[in-house]
Amino acid sequence: MALPNLVLIGAFTYRPLIMNIYYSTLNWTLGSATATVVGLGNYVRFFSSDAAGTVLTTTAVFAVATVGGSMVLGLLVALALNTNVPGTNVARAGVFAPYVLSGVGVGLVWLFIFDPVYGVLAYVLRRFGAESPRWFNDPTLSLVMVITVYVWKNLGYCAVVYLAGLQSLPADVMEAAALDGAGRLRRFGYMSLPLLGPTTFFLLITTILSSLQAFDLIRIMTPTSQGTRTLIYEAYVQGFGAYQRAGYSAAISVVLFVLLITLTIIQIAWVDRKVHYA
Amino acid sequence: MKGNPLTMVPPLDRRRFLAITGGGIGALALSACAGPITSGAAPSPTTSTGTDWSKVTPAPEITFWSNHPGKSQDVETALINAYHKTQTETKVTLVTAGASYEEVAQKFQTAQQGGQLPHVVVFSDVWWFRYFLNDSIISLNDLLSHLKVDTADYVEGLYKDYEFNTKQWAVPYARSTPLFYYNKAMWAAAGLEDRAPKTWQEFATWAPKLKAANPSAQVAHMYSAASDYDSWTLQNKIWGEGGALSKDWTITCDAEPVVKVLQFTQDSVYKHKWAGVSAKDASADFAAGAAASFVGSTGSLVGVLKAAKFDVGVGFLPGGSQATDMVCPTGGAGLGIPKAITPEQQLAAAKFLAFLGLPENTAAFAAATGYMPVRKSSDMSAVYAKTPQAKIAVDQLSHTRSQDYARVFLPGGDREIGIASSDILTQQAKITDRLAKLKSTLTDIYTTDVKPKLR
Repeated sequence: MALPNLVLIGAFTYRPLIMNIYYSTLNWTLGSATATVVGLGNYVRFFSSDAAGTVLTTTAVFAVATVGGSMVLGLLVALALNTNVPGTNVARAGVFAPYVLSGVGVGLVWLFIFDPVYGVLAYVLRRFGAESPRWFNDPTLSLVMVITVYVWKNLGYCAVVYLAGLQSLPADVMEAAALDGAGRLRRFGYMSLPLLGPTTFFLLITTILSSLQAFDLIRIMTPTSQGTRTLIYEAYVQGFGAYQRAGYSAAISVVLFVLLITLTIIQIAWVDRKVHYA
Repeated sequence: MKGNPLTMVPPLDRRRFLAITGGGIGALALSACAGPITSGAAPSPTTSTGTDWSKVTPAPEITFWSNHPGKSQDVETALINAYHKTQTETKVTLVTAGASYEEVAQKFQTAQQGGQLPHVVVFSDVWWFRYFLNDSIISLNDLLSHLKVDTADYVEGLYKDYEFNTKQWAVPYARSTPLFYYNKAMWAAAGLEDRAPKTWQEFATWAPKLKAANPSAQVAHMYSAASDYDSWTLQNKIWGEGGALSKDWTITCDAEPVVKVLQFTQDSVYKHKWAGVSAKDASADFAAGAAASFVGSTGSLVGVLKAAKFDVGVGFLPGGSQATDMVCPTGGAGLGIPKAITPEQQLAAAKFLAFLGLPENTAAFAAATGYMPVRKSSDMSAVYAKTPQAKIAVDQLSHTRSQDYARVFLPGGDREIGIASSDILTQQAKITDRLAKLKSTLTDIYTTDVKPKLR
């Protein structure tokens, strides 16, 4: 019974993976019927180029900011939603809604908001006598813009998962701590947070993986990739954008693959040991 | 009971299951090694020489991939309908293959691997040469000759833009040049003559007056964003100072005239503060009154005239201290035919391509979009009567120059030049350092991606 599934996984997951590794050893232009075998030449070219530093740094900054931002803000939102005040159900739906929206649609709407000439944000800033930052022309600000939107879109996911974690905390233990005189902050820091360890661990893995594979928002909001050259976007630009370097792009994809595998192994082998399961 | 060993299927035990699975995955792994041909020399680019076109029957159906440059979907549809009235042997289907030249190119390149190729496709000025290098397109000489297309009637400069190794690889279609657009009311308020400046140096003396007289405008001039083909118009200033991005395959983007031009441009933004860099679309900024002038494509002409609530003036591109003539680049897109389709489809495609290039059809396309008529004999009088600005674009045509190889023939050259220019104009990058880096990048592209394929 497993055979059909294995064949499908082999055909649509492992075969492209193997093909990609093979293509990464070629100097091949997309659309060309011929290619030259260059061995590890594409890897050497990438790691010896100025682009490597920029791409790896941008990838790291984007991942840390989006994972950190989504998780911290998600936890804060979950704490706010984990109260018995009216309207929390509506608020929960509102917080989660951006997560299920299309990345392309979200990107287009936020582009209009950020537009320094015609955008809503520029209009509001002008009302206060300030000029809009040059979001589209300044690479640093472009990255900030994309990170902001990515966090906005994804914090709902973290909030909902954290909310589920908060609601499954043992009520009797928390009550006992309160009776023993532990304040809210102390209970949160010494009890809730450690007990949320498995939730945090799960979110850490899933959000890092999705952050490193984030593409739609970045592609829509920064078509020139200025300031937003993450590994996956660089692979796209090199392979399907202006350069059409299919082999070189495949090498960058392999670098991303190795990075993802390494991070996952580290997380499972090391971070998992630090998590306290109830 | 024992069955016939020739027909009996053995039970699927664990060992056999693993063997089958392993074999399947192994076969997949081996098939993964299929892809581009990696042995032997690459084939020479194909020409249409050798096919006896008189013995070929046009295919009954073909597709035309376009991004509808200049919002031309309606006029393209009308031209296809007109084509269907002139003949019945071939039905043409218009396909929106992307929103930009880049998206069409991406789809076309991907189709080379995955099939479903178009039969006529829009090639932008910075893309067709890659198709030539990849051996993805056919030369059109024999087909055009067989169809008795009057190629001498094409505007010579536009036609020769697609010539390489003495062969013709596309024909002009949505061709443009940049124009200098200005707001006549702002010009009048500043007491300036109703004309475009003759040189950028002259405009630098006008700009403070424009700013002082028009406080509602953010800047006297808006430069294009990096995403909006700014490297195309940058060539104008560089040529005016006697420089070039490249001379044939030698990259000269760090030479003194280029440094001088970018210093002038950077100073206009940061030191003299009369110019700005558009966030997205300089023509939209201009139409909204945020800038007194900008340089944009003739393909934007109809759109700008519709969007602007003021009188729009257009003029030739300004020159520089070294040259005031032949400083305007050509641009836009042509039409070509893929190699990996049948001769029947190629012939049908060529017939349609020839129809689109008829003088009356190119005039209709120009009237609807603002692009230039690509045939000398096109009657544009009705267009000029309605849109006198269009005549400026056509008059400028005889003062144009083909673009530098660094921008149009190097894959990614356009993007790299645009980003370097953007770094200098929006990040105040040190000009000499940034241009040296650009030269290194462009040289690497030529050495790795172009030179090995040139024959």
